[in-house]
Amino acid sequence: MLSPAELEILSTSFAVAWRALIFSLPFAIAVAFLLSRPGTPGRLILDGLAHLPLILPPVLVGFLLLLIFGRRGPLGALLGQWFGVHLAFTTAGAALATAVMSFPLLVRSIRLAFEATDARLFEAAAMLRAGPWDRFVSIALPLAGPGIIAGAVTAFAASMGEFGAVITFAANIPGQTQTLPLAIYTVLQEPGGEDEALRLAVMSFAVAMLGLIAAEFLQRRARKRLFG
Amino acid sequence: MNVLQAHLRLAQGGFVLDAQFEAPANAITALFGPSGGGKTTLLSALAGLKHSQGSITLNERDVGAIAAHQRGFGLVFQDARLFPHLTTGQNLAYARRRAPNSKLELADVAGFFDIATLLDRPVRNLSGGEKSRVALARALICAPEFLLLDEPFAALDGPRRRAFIQVLLAAHRKFQIPMLIVSHSIDDAAALASYLVVLNQGRVVAQGPFAETALSSSFQALLDPRDIGTALSSAALRSAAQADVQSLWLRADHVLIASEPPKKLSARNILEGRITAITWEADLSLLVQLATAAGPVLSRVTQEAAQDLELQVKKTAWAVIKAHAV
Repeated sequence: MLSPAELEILSTSFAVAWRALIFSLPFAIAVAFLLSRPGTPGRLILDGLAHLPLILPPVLVGFLLLLIFGRRGPLGALLGQWFGVHLAFTTAGAALATAVMSFPLLVRSIRLAFEATDARLFEAAAMLRAGPWDRFVSIALPLAGPGIIAGAVTAFAASMGEFGAVITFAANIPGQTQTLPLAIYTVLQEPGGEDEALRLAVMSFAVAMLGLIAAEFLQRRARKRLFG
Repeated sequence: MNVLQAHLRLAQGGFVLDAQFEAPANAITALFGPSGGGKTTLLSALAGLKHSQGSITLNERDVGAIAAHQRGFGLVFQDARLFPHLTTGQNLAYARRRAPNSKLELADVAGFFDIATLLDRPVRNLSGGEKSRVALARALICAPEFLLLDEPFAALDGPRRRAFIQVLLAAHRKFQIPMLIVSHSIDDAAALASYLVVLNQGRVVAQGPFAETALSSSFQALLDPRDIGTALSSAALRSAAQADVQSLWLRADHVLIASEPPKKLSARNILEGRITAITWEADLSLLVQLATAAGPVLSRVTQEAAQDLELQVKKTAWAVIKAHAV
């Protein structure tokens, strides 16, 4: 049904989206939690920073990543020197670009989940000798769990479609950084590529729909388990 | 000996709390006052959930600057605040795990509060009374040095409320933890507490042993006129409720006065005493205060009745109280 080339594109897309999620999820949870707490200092600035990738042109995000994480960029040079890791033009780089782009989406949905949890329960936990970190792990995380899962799955599905930042920072290398939208772009550059583009578009559509349905399903199941 | 001494100051919007009070060891203290007087705010500040100035000394340790979870207070909230993602038993275990030095066993505490059969249930399936008991059990199993209770029976109706008061008294006897309980019901406060702190408009206007303090004019002035009365030891009165409580609140409106020893009455309580004061009330009724062997008793009479009976200070009179009035 799918050609080997198409399978490779799909598996590259998954590999990138997976890594992007693993990169961004811990940060997104931390930022979303801080944003959901009224007392956090510098909340407005943090909020702005977290949403920046949503406003900036994706190509610009890719370019900024090149400046910072490219071989001669301040962080890129350090990573290369110390760990021998190069991000630009690699699968990991594509994942980083995707992670940055999907970050606002992830933060938004996780923040909503944290805001929906009853803050008075944290007080109750504090009166049972639970410290701040304990309260976060034992109360905030499990109660926001369904929302976090749904946000992660949605962000994963959206990650499969990231284009501008990926092509700028990680280029368009088949088998490494060529994800679904990059492949569609590539076949459209060639005469007579519309049929193949259509096939890839259907694959994109299917993955996105599956992701959204899975997010809804997981959230419902988790809610039911938690709150009946 | 006082286990808790506090002087709290905090401003919140236009409201200023400036409260200085103490609470004795091994006793239940009632924090009484009209709604909006700052009772819940005071409790939150004590517990460390609200920032306040001043000092809090608990068991000779200054805890005013310590984070809420390390202060040593337990708090039972008005709404039980059980964790919805845990079962009843897991709620208790949550508290037990965080108090490694507590000598209480979960099974014993659950048995004491009659919730042992509920441990596997999700908390959303508990009734109001069950939730209150679980919340109390959860607070106690954490072995606090001092337990604060914010109207824990606000959500309970009459019979379940009285039953919960019995549970609270029994828990106090068994676990020997000093308590400060917020209440705006004078009956509940009298039933539970042996010490009274009266809070009005952010200030402590009276405090001391319950019966004595309840007699003070600054306390009586805060009561609904219909609630004016005195606290009598439950041993001194025949009560239809036959509840094993700290004291009973005897309303002046429920006490008849006789100028001669009454005979053949259905009332089960007749207390002989000397009239110590007669005061005019705003509605032109008279409050007669009688010193009896059981303690001071107030009775409200009309001007006409006072004249007929020739009631005067220092005269002997008899207070007549129905068993069902207390």
